[in-house]
Amino acid sequence: MTEHSLWRFSRALHRAINDRHFEDIEALIDEDVEWALYGPIDMFPFLGARQGKDAVLDVIRQLADNFQVRRFDRESIMLGVDSAASMLRYSLTALDSNKPISLRVAQFAQFKAGKLTSMRVLIDTFDLVEQALGRAIHLPKMTGVG
Amino acid sequence: MTVESLNRQRVLHLLDAFARGDIEAALACCTDDVDFLTHAPIDVLPHLGPRHGKQELRELWRTVQTRYSETRHEVPQLVAEGNTVAAYLRVFFRKRSNDRVVQFDMAVFYTFRGGQVAQIREIIDSYDLVQQVLEREIGPLIAGVRVDEG
Repeated sequence: MTEHSLWRFSRALHRAINDRHFEDIEALIDEDVEWALYGPIDMFPFLGARQGKDAVLDVIRQLADNFQVRRFDRESIMLGVDSAASMLRYSLTALDSNKPISLRVAQFAQFKAGKLTSMRVLIDTFDLVEQALGRAIHLPKMTGVG
Repeated sequence: MTVESLNRQRVLHLLDAFARGDIEAALACCTDDVDFLTHAPIDVLPHLGPRHGKQELRELWRTVQTRYSETRHEVPQLVAEGNTVAAYLRVFFRKRSNDRVVQFDMAVFYTFRGGQVAQIREIIDSYDLVQQVLEREIGPLIAGVRVDEG
C-alpha cells in the first residue's frame, strides 16, 4: 500500500517552514499548481491566491521567514484517491515578535501523480488578526444582520 | 454504493434543502443531538455561537433566513472518507436589507452517525465575512477609529 500524497507533502511543508529545507517540497509541487490561503493580504502578504510552482515556493519561503511550527494536531482528516481535506490545530511562533499564535485551519488539497495541483486553506482570520495585534478588535454586535 | 458515496449525496441533499429554504428537510438530515460549531467571532456575530440539537440549529438557520432572501452555493471540492465528509463551499447570501450579496468561502466538516449528520464544524475567512456583513473595512479600527464614528 503506497503512502498517500498528503503525508509526503505535509512532512515536506513542515520541514520547509521549520528547517528552511525547500528541496523536498519543491519536488512535490506541480508546475501549474493553484494555491489560495484566504485572509487579509494587506496585513499578511503571504496570504492570497497564487498560481504556479515558483509563486507557491515563494509563499512557503515567506511562511518560513515569519513562523515556526511548534505543534500541529489533525482534528479531522479525510483522504480521497487524489485529494485530502483536514482540519488542523496549529501552534506557531511569530518570529518577528516571538508571540505564540494558535490557529484552526481547514486544508483542501488535490494531487496528480503525487504532486500538489491545488491547495485551498481557510483560517478563522478574525482570530488570527486579533492574535497578531495582541488585542481584541472591538466591533458592535451584529444582532440584526449577518 | 459505498458509504462515502452515500454520505456525499446526503451532504449535497442537506445543502440543497437549505438553499431552497426548506429548513425542516435540512434538519431531517441531522440527528436529534446534532452538534454545530462555527469558528467565527461570536462576540461580533452572536448567532454563530455553538448549537446543540435540532431546535437550536433550527433557530440559527431561521435567523439566517430572516436576514437573507436568497442563499446559493457552489461545491468546488468534496472529500469523503468513512463517516466523515469535508465540503469546500463558495456561498452567496443576498441581504434582505439592501439586496447586497455576501460571498465567502467556507470549509464544512460533517460527521455522520446512522446515516444522519451528527456533527458540523465550519471554518470561514471570518475577517472578510465580518467586513462584508458590516459593509466596512475593519482596517481603520485597528488604527484606532471606532466603527460607529464612520
